[in-house]
Amino acid sequence: MSGAGKRQRLTLRIAAIPMGLLALSCLYPIFFAVNNALKTRHDYMLDRFGLAMQPTLDNFVQAWTRAHLDEYFLNSVIATLGAVILLMVVSSMAGFALASLRFPYRRFLFAVILSSLMIPVQVVLVPFMRTMLALNLVNTHIGLILSYTAFFLPFSVYMMTAFYSGLPRELIEAARIDGASLLQVWWHVMLPLGTPALVTLAILNTLSCWNDILISLLVMQKHRTLMVGISALKGQYSDQIPLFTAGIVIAAAPIVVLYILFQRRIVSGIAVGAVKG
Amino acid sequence: MTANSLHQTGQAARTRTRPGRSRRAEARVAVLFLLPAILLVLVFRIFPLFWGFGISLTSATSTDPGQFIGAGNYLRALDDPNFRSAMANAVVVLLSVPIFVTIPMLLAILIHQGVPGRTFFRSVYFFPAILSSVIIGSIFSVVLSFNGNLNALLSIAGISGVDWLGHSATALPVTLAIQCWSTFGMGVLIFLAGLSTVSKEMVEAARLDGAKMWQIWWHVIIPELRPIIEFSTVITTIGLLTSMFGLIYVLTGGGPGTATTVPEYLIWAAQGKLNRPAYAAAVSMVLFFMTSILAWLQIRILSRNANI
Repeated sequence: MSGAGKRQRLTLRIAAIPMGLLALSCLYPIFFAVNNALKTRHDYMLDRFGLAMQPTLDNFVQAWTRAHLDEYFLNSVIATLGAVILLMVVSSMAGFALASLRFPYRRFLFAVILSSLMIPVQVVLVPFMRTMLALNLVNTHIGLILSYTAFFLPFSVYMMTAFYSGLPRELIEAARIDGASLLQVWWHVMLPLGTPALVTLAILNTLSCWNDILISLLVMQKHRTLMVGISALKGQYSDQIPLFTAGIVIAAAPIVVLYILFQRRIVSGIAVGAVKG
Repeated sequence: MTANSLHQTGQAARTRTRPGRSRRAEARVAVLFLLPAILLVLVFRIFPLFWGFGISLTSATSTDPGQFIGAGNYLRALDDPNFRSAMANAVVVLLSVPIFVTIPMLLAILIHQGVPGRTFFRSVYFFPAILSSVIIGSIFSVVLSFNGNLNALLSIAGISGVDWLGHSATALPVTLAIQCWSTFGMGVLIFLAGLSTVSKEMVEAARLDGAKMWQIWWHVIIPELRPIIEFSTVITTIGLLTSMFGLIYVLTGGGPGTATTVPEYLIWAAQGKLNRPAYAAAVSMVLFFMTSILAWLQIRILSRNANI
């Protein structure tokens, strides 16, 4: 960068202004939601742009209890946790088999799992619903957990296979010579060694599951998840913006916490996913 | 890259001599380890794809399996104004792809070139991308409603308000703009990953030769980024065709009229509200056809780049 000309530096400095505004616009919606959630309905009508001068938590209490967000939140937590754990177990097992074990049609089976990336929910919406009905999985947490796992699985399997392929095979051989069964090798060697990749996967899959609307809209018609609940709230409380924005803040809070804690991992995970397809 | 490493482990294993019995045991265990993943993918995705094609050839409703009517649903689609406007909207969406690719690319190049505040920009830009489209849509529905904040702000400036999401002329462009704003950070990350492979020496050499900044961009950086541009174009296009449901569901419900009804939204409406599952299955097949072409392109790009 030492040879950077004066003009280039000036151009970059000028470019920083719109880029800075864009950065602020990325943070503004959350500020907007939090700020308005802290106002009373009356305050909001008087001054919708100003800061909440006498912040109140009443909207959060109301959204949590009266608008049933407590129930929706629990449903989302159950579905997300269940799916993320299942995704880690299933993709680690599959990755171990695909990367470290020898068996016929290995590449073909890998291709089958990856090819399902081309089949999003929309493409199989009707038969997917019929499958769920036939298996009695509609309106059950297990049904939603299995659906999330099925639809977010290929990327996870891909990542675990790539990660395990990079591990030296001697690790497995050594454990085998010590008399460990393959199940023991997976549990005592592969799972612990896979931790870095598994943590990244857990974070990315948490984002996908928590943020999902279409699958939960289809599967959980009775027991709403948080995102389905929020979209319903929009219609019900359209004249009570502070209450509505409190709901938005509650729904976004876990993701914001993840973003603050694991920014680096999210960035590198997305970059890996992007570059490797 | 993975195919390569798979290949290597395969070879490593092959060079070892092992008794056949333990090899068979290994294969058996491997199948057991793979079984959950394969079953999930087969039951919920691959098998439904074929079943869905079957349903699309019938007159099925939610209660009645119906009869075989061949291409009937597909022919009906051609006459259906909903389908036509969904396809027209899809064309508008596809035409906006260059914007979705160019903006992140320019921002990434600027960040890479050392714009002041770049660390901050890089970490903030992808924040909207990790929020649910429901969250984004909900916030913008408050801001953009007719008596919402944007119009209130405009009226202070003396400009009369527009019903941004209630007018068929503005609804789709506004929805696309929100989609662009909420996903550009992802594109910036992709391009930054690509830019890290652009040779610094070449940029420096061009600069020493007296090239101006835009010349360096145009003649050195952007040609080097070509694989990433192609990749990003395909990814963005697939994303636009299959991940705008949440935003549309919350912002406009496909309306006003059919102004924001895209194929994926029509599929959902046809199977639920309209109770025409067989028709929905047919539209699904059309969408699958569109994304398959794109996926085929993507595989071609990836394999060509791997062969360089």
